[in-house]
This record gives sequence, structure tokens and C-alpha cells, in this order.
Amino acid sequence: MKTIRKSSRKDRAIQVLIHCLLLSLVVITLIPFAYIILMAFGKDVVGTATTIPTEYSFDNFARLFTETNFVDWIKNSIIISLITMVLSVLFVSVSVYVFSRLRFLGKRKLFNFILLVQIFPLMLSMVSIFRIFVMLGLLNDLKGLIIINATVSSAGLVLLAKGYFDTIPYELDEAAMVDGATKFQTLVKIILPLAKPMLAVVAIQSFVIAYNEYAIASTIMTQGLDGMPLAVGLQSMIVGQYGTNWSLYCAASVLGSIPMIVLFYSMQKYFIGGLTEGSVKM
Amino acid sequence: MKKALLCLLVILFGFTVFSITPIKVEAASDSVVHVWFSQYSQENDAMIAIANQFTNETGIAVEVVPRINVFNAANDLVNNAELDDRPDIVFMQAPDIGGLIASGYLESLTAFIDEDITSRFSEVAFDAFSYNGNIYGVGYSIDTYGLLYNKDLISEDDLPTTWEEYFTTGEALTISNDEGEVIQWGILMNSRDMWFNYPIIKEFGGYYYGQFSNGDYNPYDIGLDNEGMVNYVTKVKELKAKNLVLTNKIQGESEIVSRFANGKVAMMIYGLWYASVFKQKNLNYGIASLPDQTDNTTSLALTTVQGFVVNKFTDNLAETLQFLEYILRDDNQQLLIEGGNNNAEKIGTRNPANYAVIASEYIQSDDILASLSGLNSECEPFPNIPEGTIWYNYTTTVFQSIFFGTSDDQEVDVQAKLSELVEAIRSDVALMNYQAERIDIPSWIWAVVIVALIVGIAAYLIIKKFVIKKKKTHYERISWKETFIAWLLMVPLLILLIVFYVYPIIHNIYLSLTDYSGINLRDYGLIGFANYKDIFVAGIDGLASMTVWTVVFAACVVIISFVLGTVLASVLNKVNFHVAKIYRIIFILPWVIPTVITLLMWQGLLETDNGLINQILGLIGIPNIPWLSDPFIAKISTIMVMVWFSFPYFMVIATGHLKAIPKDYFEAAKVDGASAIHIFFTITLPLVFRALIPTLIMSFIMQFNQFGVYILTQGGPASDVIGAPGATDLLITYVFNTAFNTNRYAVAAAYSVIIFVFVALFSLIAMRIGRKVSED
Repeated sequence: MKTIRKSSRKDRAIQVLIHCLLLSLVVITLIPFAYIILMAFGKDVVGTATTIPTEYSFDNFARLFTETNFVDWIKNSIIISLITMVLSVLFVSVSVYVFSRLRFLGKRKLFNFILLVQIFPLMLSMVSIFRIFVMLGLLNDLKGLIIINATVSSAGLVLLAKGYFDTIPYELDEAAMVDGATKFQTLVKIILPLAKPMLAVVAIQSFVIAYNEYAIASTIMTQGLDGMPLAVGLQSMIVGQYGTNWSLYCAASVLGSIPMIVLFYSMQKYFIGGLTEGSVKM
Repeated sequence: MKKALLCLLVILFGFTVFSITPIKVEAASDSVVHVWFSQYSQENDAMIAIANQFTNETGIAVEVVPRINVFNAANDLVNNAELDDRPDIVFMQAPDIGGLIASGYLESLTAFIDEDITSRFSEVAFDAFSYNGNIYGVGYSIDTYGLLYNKDLISEDDLPTTWEEYFTTGEALTISNDEGEVIQWGILMNSRDMWFNYPIIKEFGGYYYGQFSNGDYNPYDIGLDNEGMVNYVTKVKELKAKNLVLTNKIQGESEIVSRFANGKVAMMIYGLWYASVFKQKNLNYGIASLPDQTDNTTSLALTTVQGFVVNKFTDNLAETLQFLEYILRDDNQQLLIEGGNNNAEKIGTRNPANYAVIASEYIQSDDILASLSGLNSECEPFPNIPEGTIWYNYTTTVFQSIFFGTSDDQEVDVQAKLSELVEAIRSDVALMNYQAERIDIPSWIWAVVIVALIVGIAAYLIIKKFVIKKKKTHYERISWKETFIAWLLMVPLLILLIVFYVYPIIHNIYLSLTDYSGINLRDYGLIGFANYKDIFVAGIDGLASMTVWTVVFAACVVIISFVLGTVLASVLNKVNFHVAKIYRIIFILPWVIPTVITLLMWQGLLETDNGLINQILGLIGIPNIPWLSDPFIAKISTIMVMVWFSFPYFMVIATGHLKAIPKDYFEAAKVDGASAIHIFFTITLPLVFRALIPTLIMSFIMQFNQFGVYILTQGGPASDVIGAPGATDLLITYVFNTAFNTNRYAVAAAYSVIIFVFVALFSLIAMRIGRKVSED
């Protein structure tokens, strides 16, 4: 694995310097999280004013499971996000193949269309979104959330993935087709495997989008507490006129981020590697 | 390992598909009474028990729907009022009813509420829901406040009976240590607040909305700039000099509560919202009546009453009212209140309006609950007219500049500032009530418009085809077969995009041409381009400078996070494989934890006086930096925090892209003797940049419409001019605030259309430039 030979002193100094910079960045990244974790275990936390809790306990976590529908929420969120992820990867793979490999009439217009429609923030047209869900009969239904999340994330990620697909040489397709492969076979056997790093990013990002989506879910899921996704449930703990339950909220955030960390970790092997040991495709 | 993971994924996926199909609520039959109730499970359980009992007695089915919180009730009622499973009885806050009544969503209960009901509930339970001489709801829980006092510091007998006494006792009980630092406060107030200080404001002669003799509010009569208010300001300034008022302009109620909970404050004006914390701390405290006014009348606390209203569109009014009557019975009220207070825990969430419950053993055996319910007659409901909430938007910043000076530390003229405040509220009231003239559009116009559109598109396509035919030699040959396949494959995504993106855009354009607003939620009609005219004629202060700032903000965030992300990705490729893995896991954290929580954490961390960042910097001798309170530094902090959120995304993307860069490029450069830094800037960065142009433009758009900044700074530090944009207000947050503060949703829609056009043009130009760059 070690590819850089640490022969000279200069190299070593550079390595040390790099690690120092990385470590300081780690500190900056971690401060808020350390704080969230402290709060999650803290007792009697009144506000975010930075008084570090003095007493610690597991009470907040226990309360999550006894007083709130945390288990339902996280289950709903995982369901929504997983299916959104699968659908998005499908949509993005197909669309990106179309954009990157086919020469067709209206290509640039279609691409611009996908980019432009997304400028309009959905968050601000909840009245319209609600009407659509009424018309489709998808109110209070996880399916509705899955469909709209898949749309939002596919639309955004097609733009991202196209750039990557364009870097995969077309010669590979031609070589495959010379060997008698169909276009579909080329896509599945040659291009998609090469695009693994990008598909991993698409998968994670679509999961994250679905997992964090709040505005739409809170508008269309009005019946019952157990049908809510986690983001809406979390919000209900802090959006209050007076009392805000910081510790509980932090505890929920800590537990709630675990699925995403696990997902990231299991996907990590698809996009690491790179410069020194990465697959060379030319 | 890999196989196991795959199996797990497949099983999970199968499980999820399986488990979503059965979620199908059985079609609601018409005779079911739907009740939207509480967010507390034990309270809902009590309601369900009552509903079952009711069904047994009458045969009328009731469905109790738990709600995520009571604040969404009004909004959701508007959305759901006419659907099949519409709610019949809704639990909501009294201040939210004004717009609903004006738009015709609530059923008047005046005829239903008979003497029997009025005699069993506190008066305020009905007052709060009275509007234009009718009663629209019945209060169930009275969210009020009183004088919280620490029994260890002041005995019940010594409590002040007048406000003058309150101030003198407070001063007497305040203790400083040898260094002049206050270690115990007799009273502690928040000078920027108007809610809890309202009884004191009234004592001095100020008031919010005046009332007509029949009790209705007159929103044009605002008593916040009279002589009494000036005296109030003078008094609070005097108290501030004596340290009886928070001296840090960022701190608010929660700071006072936390000091009170730690036994350092003898008296504060507050409610029981943190009772559980007080209990955990074993605080020996009580809640008592507020001191009297000078004319010996009782001081009234500003109160939010929560209660039940009935949907105007209920399809079974008789059954609904029958169940409402059942809920309001004394024994059922008892069950609900006990559930709402978590039964034996008695957490104080609900303060009963029902007399029998107040008198019950359950309430009376608890000192705190008993004394809180004793305050029910000393309440003044918060104005329930649609204009009620306007002061929220201004008073905090106005009082901040009055008590803490302007952003450049200038004293302000109190009378002038208060007059400015009243003027701002009054003009908002006028805006809210302004009704543009509707225009009648004959239905055939629509046909004309549609035909014109189709003709236009057809003409465009024909012309376009000519142009393409002419140019065809220059272009790559387009295959019709591939065109067919491409469009066919894109159909599913296209349909979704049209449904979820194009339809809302068109619907918003339509709304922007109507008079849709907080008082016209249902019967809105076309008013032509009046909203656009408003926007362009009235304009917004500093539109140009705000647009520049928004563009600078979005560009900085995107560029910095892109460069930082790419640098990290390539550096991590060079360090030890296993170490890099750990770094990566840490660096992606900002991306995977819900943004709301981390934004609020940053807000706390960046506080000037007590923020953790300044405390850490203090250890190495760096003086306090006003991260979020200095206009310029706040801008930089905002950019940095947003970079913190988005760099992990770019790091991960760049990691993927680095894998795709052919190794030859680097080797060739190495042979030429280029340094690592040189290689990064000449090869890595440009290559990744080219591939990411659409994504970068997309991120720019996302940052342009970024609402997160608002959570971090609320647009502040606020401008010294009332209503003008704050230092970190982005275009979108500012215009939407101005439109939403007055509930002018159609104006908000018009703004969103204008911003859409602006950003779309900007993006198209950027795309064109980007394409040029990548073709070079």
C-alpha cells in the first residue's frame, strides 16, 4: 500500500505538516459534534448557550424510547431513504447513460431543462405540492415521500453523474460493441462497473437527501405520530414556543446519524483508492 | 463479508417494500368524527379512552389523530379542511384562529356554548376564542405565566405587591462579590422581550393593540410610542445599570431560566415550561400572582390559550358537536389534563381551564400546579386577530437598539425609535388588510391563451427545424433511432419532473397573480399584475446590495468548499490508507448529521461572550471576536459555517473523480519534475472542475436559495433601520420574511417567480461560459 517512500527528511517534514493541517481540520469538524454528544448525555440542559452540562446520564436516550415514537420515526426514515436510494441510482444510471452516450435531438435542451426546473425551491411551493399529493392520493403515505424524494435526488444527481460518465472513454463502448455486445450489455457490464465511485456518491447523497427532507414530509404527513420520518419527529422536539428539549434532540440526532455513518462506511471502498492504485482505464 | 452485506441489503430492501404496502388506512366513512389532538402520547391515550367510551354510549365512531405539534394545526387545517378524511375537531392555539376565521375555515360555536359550559370553564377559555362577537372554540389549557420565585431566597410573605416594590425588592436581593461581579440576582429581566415584560409595559401605560368598547382589537391603535413607553424604557435602562437586566444582547429567556434553575435568581416572570428541569435540580420554588398595577388593578399576563375548534367543512356537524360536548364534561377534562401532565409525573404541561379539574385532588395536591391554575383569572389572551403576531418581527431588534445601541454603538433617540416601530407595525397592518381589486376574466380567455401557447411552440419548433436542417452539416449526425430511445428512457424521470417541479412553478405563477393571503386562504381571485407592480414600485431597500451579497455568499461557499474538498481528497489519497479511512469518516460528519442541529450548535459556539470558540481562543490569549454580532465578521462566519457543511460533499465527489483521472497524466507531469502542489493546480483541480461544472452551478443555486443561514443568524446582526435587511440576510430569506410577516402569500409567490427568472438567467449564462471553458 505504501507508495510514497519516506526516504528524505523533507518528505517526512511534509508528511508531518500535512497531518498537522488535517488534525486541525479534524478539530474544527469535531467541535460541534463533541458538543452535541455532551448535550445528549447532559442533564438539565436549558438552552444552547454554551454552558457545558455538569451532570451526565443516559436519561435522554431512555426517554427517546419511552416518551417519543423514535423507533417508528427511524424505521420510516430508513425505509424511505433506502428505497429512494435504490430508485435514484436506477434513474441516474439510465439518464446519465442517455446523456453521456446517446446522440439525440434536444439533448442540450433537456439537460438545461433538468437544471433549470430545480432552481425553483420546492420548499416554497408547499401549497402546490400538497395539491399534487391530494390529486395523486398519496397523502400520509410513505410511498408519496419516496417518489418525490427520488425525483428530487435523481434530478440533482444526474447533473453530477454526467460529468463523471463523460470522463469514461467512449472507446471502451466501441470496443465492446465490436465484440458484439449490445448497448444494454455495454452499460451494465462495462460502464456501470467503472462508474462505481460515482454511483456510490449518488447512493449516499440520495440517502442523505431523503433522510434529511423535512418541509415536504411535515406538510403531507398529517395523520398520526408513528408515520413520520425522523426529520419531522426531530423538529417537533425543538419547534416550541417556549420549552425546547435540547438534550432529547441531541440524543435523537446522535442515534439518528448512525444509519448514515454505517452507509458511508460500507460504501467507502467504492470511491477510495484513486491516484496510486486506482483502475487505469486507458 | 461482501456477500453478507449484500444479503443484508436485499433482506432489508425486501422487508421495506413489504412493510410499506400494508400501510393503508381504511376508507373513512362519513359518520366518523376525526379529532386532531396532541403531541403527547399519554394525553392522546386519554382522548382515545374517552372516544371509545363515547362510541360505546352513542355508536358514533371517533378517530383520534395524534399530531406532531400544535403549531402546525392552522396550516394543516387549511390544507386538509375539505379532504375526505378532514378533521372535524382540531386542537390549536387561540392566536392562530384569526386568519382561519377571516378565510372561513372555522365553525362558530356561539349557539353550541350554553350556560352550562360557560359556568364550568374559566372566562379566558372563551375570551381567547372570541372573534367579532362570536365564539369559535373552547379553551382547554391555559398557557400563562406568573411570578416565579425561589423560596430559599425570598419567602412567600415578602413577595412584592406592587411593581415599584418588585424593583426595590429585586435590587435589595441582588448581591455582588468583592470584584463587583453579581452572584445573585433579586430580579432578572430581558430588555429585548415584550411578552413577559408586557404587564410592566402596561403598568407604565404602554400597550400593544387597543380595543374597541365591544372588546374587538383595533390594529391601528398601537400604544408602543406613548409617554408611558418612554418611561418604561427609562426604567429598564435604570434597572440595567443596576444589573437587574441581562447585559448581553444575545442572551434571552433561556439564560435567565438557567440562572434561576441554578438558584441564583430570586424572582423572574415566567411560566412552567422548564418545570422538569427545576424538578431535576430540586429547586425549592413557587409561582405567584404578578405584582398589582399602581391603580390597584391586577396585572394580567399575556396568555396563549389552547383549545378545541371545529372545522367549518365538517360533514357531520351534529355528531362532532355531540363529541365536543362529551370532551368538555368535567370528568373527561380531568382525564385529559392528567394525561397531558403525564399522569403521576405532573410535569405542568397543561394548566386546566375547567373549574372542576382545578378543584380536583390531582391539581390541588401539587403546590405548583395549584398556584398556576390560581392565576387563570389574571390572564389577558394574546390578540387573536390575523395582525396579532406582527410585533414579533420588530420588537426584539427595536429594543436591542434602544437598550444596547446601534451596531456602531450609537445611542438611539428613544421616542423616535418607538415611533418608527409603531409606524412599521401600522404599515404592516395596512398591507395585510389591503385588498387589490379583482379582475374578471372571461373563461374564453384561457382557451385563447392555451391556443396561443400551442401555436407559439409549434412555430418555434418549425423555425428551429429549419435552422437545424441548415446547420446539420456542422453538427454530428443525429440518429433518429437514438433520439427515440433517449426520449423513451427519459420519460419516467420527465413525468416526475413535470409533476413535482413544473406544476408547482406554474401554480406559483398563477398564485402570484391572485390575492391569496392569510385572510384570503380560500376565496382568492385573480388581481392581475398588482403584486409585481407592488414589488417594483415599492421596491425593497437595498435590493441591489443584497443581491450582490447573495451572489458573493453563494459563490464563496461553492468555490471554497470545492477547492477544500478537492485538496482534502487528493491529500487523503497520499497518506496511509488506514489513517485516511479514519479522516474520511470524521470529515463526512457535517454532511450526515441533520443540519438544523449543527446550525444551532454553531450558533451557540460562535456566541461572543460565552461561546466555546471564544473561550478556547481566550486560553491562548486572543480577545473575544464578535463572530455573529459584527456585520462584517458575521458575513465571514456565515460563509465559513456553510463551507463547513458543504466541503464533505465535494470531498467525496472529488475522491470519486480522482479515481477516474488517468494515471499517465500524473506520471508525465512527474517526469517533467512538477511539484505535488503544481500537479494539483494544473491537473487535478482543472480536471475535476470541468467534470463538475453542472454540479457547481447547481450548488450555487442551492446556496443562493439557502435557508440555513437564517437558522444560524436570523439574518442578523439587524440593520438599524426597522425592516431593512440584516447583514447576513440573503435575498430569498429577506423577501420571504417581508411577505410572510404580513401573510401576503401571493406577494411571496411573485417574489419567488422573480428570483426564479433571475437565477435561471444567471445559470444559463454560467452554463454557457462553463461549456466554453470545458471545450477549450
